[in-house]
Amino acid sequence: MRITNNMLINNVLLNVSNNLNRTQKYQSQLATGKKITMPSDDPIVASKALKLRTDVAEIMQYRRNADDATSWMEITEATLAQIGEVIHRFREISAQAANGTNTPDDIDKIRTEAEELKTQLIHLANTTYAGRYIFSGYKTDKPLLDENGNFNINITNDEKINFEIGIGDDINVNVPGSDLFHGGDPAAAGDESRLIKTLSDVIQAMEDGDHEQISSLLGSIDTEVENLLRVRAGLGARMNRVDLSSNRLDDDFVNFTRLMSLNEDVDMAEAIMNLSNEMSVYQASLATSAKVIQQSLVDYLR
Amino acid sequence: MKNTTFLGLDIALRGLYASQRGMATVSHNVDNTNTPGYSRQVINQKAARPMLIAGKAGMLGMGSDVVSVDRVRDTYLDDKYWSEAQYYGEWSVKNTILTDMQAIYNEPSDTGFAKIISDFYDTLQQLSTNPSDPGIRNAVKEKGIIVAKYFNSVAAHFDHLQEDLNNMVYAKVAEINNLADQIRTLNLQIYNYEIMGNTANDLRDQRTYLVDRLSKIINCQAYEVETGLKLPNGEPEKRFVVVISGKALVDHQHVVHLKCVNREEKLNFEDLGNLYEVLWEDGNTIDVKSGELKGYLDMRDGNDGIPAANGQGNTPNCKGIPYYQRKMNEFVQVFARAFNEGIIDKNGDGVLDDIEGHADGYTRSSVEGDEPSGIRFFTMLDDEGEPMDSARFIEMIYRQAEAAGIEDDPGTDYDERLVWGYSRFLTARNFCVSWDIESDPVENIATSSVAGEAGNNLNLKSILEMRHNTYMFMEGSGEDFIKTLISTMGVDGQQYSVYMGIQEGIMKQIENRRQSVSGVSLNEEMVNLVKYQQVYAAAAKMIETYAEVLDILINRLGL
Repeated sequence: MRITNNMLINNVLLNVSNNLNRTQKYQSQLATGKKITMPSDDPIVASKALKLRTDVAEIMQYRRNADDATSWMEITEATLAQIGEVIHRFREISAQAANGTNTPDDIDKIRTEAEELKTQLIHLANTTYAGRYIFSGYKTDKPLLDENGNFNINITNDEKINFEIGIGDDINVNVPGSDLFHGGDPAAAGDESRLIKTLSDVIQAMEDGDHEQISSLLGSIDTEVENLLRVRAGLGARMNRVDLSSNRLDDDFVNFTRLMSLNEDVDMAEAIMNLSNEMSVYQASLATSAKVIQQSLVDYLR
Repeated sequence: MKNTTFLGLDIALRGLYASQRGMATVSHNVDNTNTPGYSRQVINQKAARPMLIAGKAGMLGMGSDVVSVDRVRDTYLDDKYWSEAQYYGEWSVKNTILTDMQAIYNEPSDTGFAKIISDFYDTLQQLSTNPSDPGIRNAVKEKGIIVAKYFNSVAAHFDHLQEDLNNMVYAKVAEINNLADQIRTLNLQIYNYEIMGNTANDLRDQRTYLVDRLSKIINCQAYEVETGLKLPNGEPEKRFVVVISGKALVDHQHVVHLKCVNREEKLNFEDLGNLYEVLWEDGNTIDVKSGELKGYLDMRDGNDGIPAANGQGNTPNCKGIPYYQRKMNEFVQVFARAFNEGIIDKNGDGVLDDIEGHADGYTRSSVEGDEPSGIRFFTMLDDEGEPMDSARFIEMIYRQAEAAGIEDDPGTDYDERLVWGYSRFLTARNFCVSWDIESDPVENIATSSVAGEAGNNLNLKSILEMRHNTYMFMEGSGEDFIKTLISTMGVDGQQYSVYMGIQEGIMKQIENRRQSVSGVSLNEEMVNLVKYQQVYAAAAKMIETYAEVLDILINRLGL
């Protein structure tokens, strides 16, 4: 084949520019840490990258939701514990009052404490978390009970606040007041809470000095204690589930982040090797090209 | 015939002249080594007509003649170049434009669609865990605006790009016309030079070079046709013709220009107004099959081959700007409809259902007994570029639906007028967060499915569930849809760059072969130079020798 000067020059240009292109590719991989900079570099990687980014972002949000759920439930759990203590104390002193040997003075003292306990229970029923009433179902802006222990709002056990802690994975975070304070039955505004009514009945019996009546009401108090235990057990089970889900989300986060990295991040060692490889080819092609294109017969004619 | 006295001197002189021509040609070649389109020239040297010697002694050589200066050219390679250059032009344009379009989407990155929509859903999730919080409600509004602005900005960028491409179409048509004029001028010059039987080497090179450039812009064929007439020297008369899709752009001295006229009706619903239609100057339509012009037209008009909006055939079968605009529009229409109204195919039976959407929710300060707020989260910008409020938006849809004869079919769950309205009016360009939400997000963002329940997040959860509804689009969920769109672009981009690479390789190959045949080799020219120089010196020596011989003959003989 006849080789002309312009062929030489064109080929040199083409080759050097091809070398530079490849060098630039590895250089940009190293500079960005990513295998690709636009979808056409590798559509499969790009499409997976989009999916994985969304997945990772979603997992992070679910983790935040799970954290919120945990805080809400921890507050609820702590409140339930306090309610438990109050009811236990109430039962203790009621049992004392049921004893026929008490003097009216003793009964009076017990009654004063019992009333204090009832007031405390009403306060606990209106516990808030970040400004929201935790037992008020969906009406988180309104207190559950008024000062007399009557329901302030309509409430049913259906008012379950659910947080999403996974795709299609809802966790119920709240305890509707009707479940705890009304034995699980729906309550309308103005109804007296069953739990408070039990307490009020005992206090009334104390006022009447009717220790037999008190004694017969102890069974009702026990029912409320059982109800509380049921609610606490349910909450505990749900808290367990959030814990498990949180752990799973942590695992998912690590896994998906790793997948994301595998998918789009550059293998540094490989890229550095490729780059230095390309650099030597580039230098070689520059060195040889410079020799070839400079000389012709002209240099030797005299 | 007898020897004449000065015969030898004449022969030597011819040698001198021939070598001089040779050296002049070498010089011309060397000068034009880097001239684009130049083909090297060689002198066609022949032994001069010999003289018959009397007495059957044979023929006496009379030295050398240069009968012509020829250019070394393989016209097969020219034809091949022209037939391949058009595809190179087309693919390189498409490849460049698709690279620009990918930059508009800016994926994968931390600022692209995936990130923006994720952020929006994240704040919605936060709101679902704390529905009455004013801070989060404000954040939802802000993130919603970012989503809307993303679509506005992508649509605006596509609009700008379409305008740029439209200008490029104009520029390319002007270039074609300019090249056609230059070819015509050269045709006349070449014809005039060659009428006496010469070959206009350099002018022919220039003309071939012009066709080279033209063939990159548009599919064209160029050839010489015999007219059937004869030139004075007996050769057949030839005329040069350049043809585009069967019609002559240049026919010797005649040129038919192309022209750009503004389209009366849009080819695509998504197009900007007044795009150029390319026509022949005489009003005939032109079929642009390839070349840069085709690249620009396809990317400007390509809508995946769907029927054109103006009813004139189909759009180019290429995923150009209108395709992506259409897909982005489809996204915002379906997304907003589902988000606002809850009209979505819930169970994949191919029929739309009406589940709880934003408009079915309640405002933050609603009280028991209130009606659903009817507030749409997303609406559209009005003609002044201001976000419409929900009432005005819905009123507009109902009014237009009535005018178009669309009615609500009581047999379906959903309101046909809304479905029609969203797909008729909403576009990525005018998509926005409604004025109700923008002006008072704390009050107007719906989370509750029941009036007066501050902690109820069921409405919001219904909306959040739609994120993973894979029946929302044919391509799957909303994010799947965009992902598919971007990977479609990626696959096309990869394909275009492969095609361009192949075409580039073919072009280099042809160009190399052309250079191999027609290019100037300095080594060769130097060898030729030495060759002619030595002959020149030898011929001069002959003259000197003859001079001595004649000196003897004239000055010394018979004295």
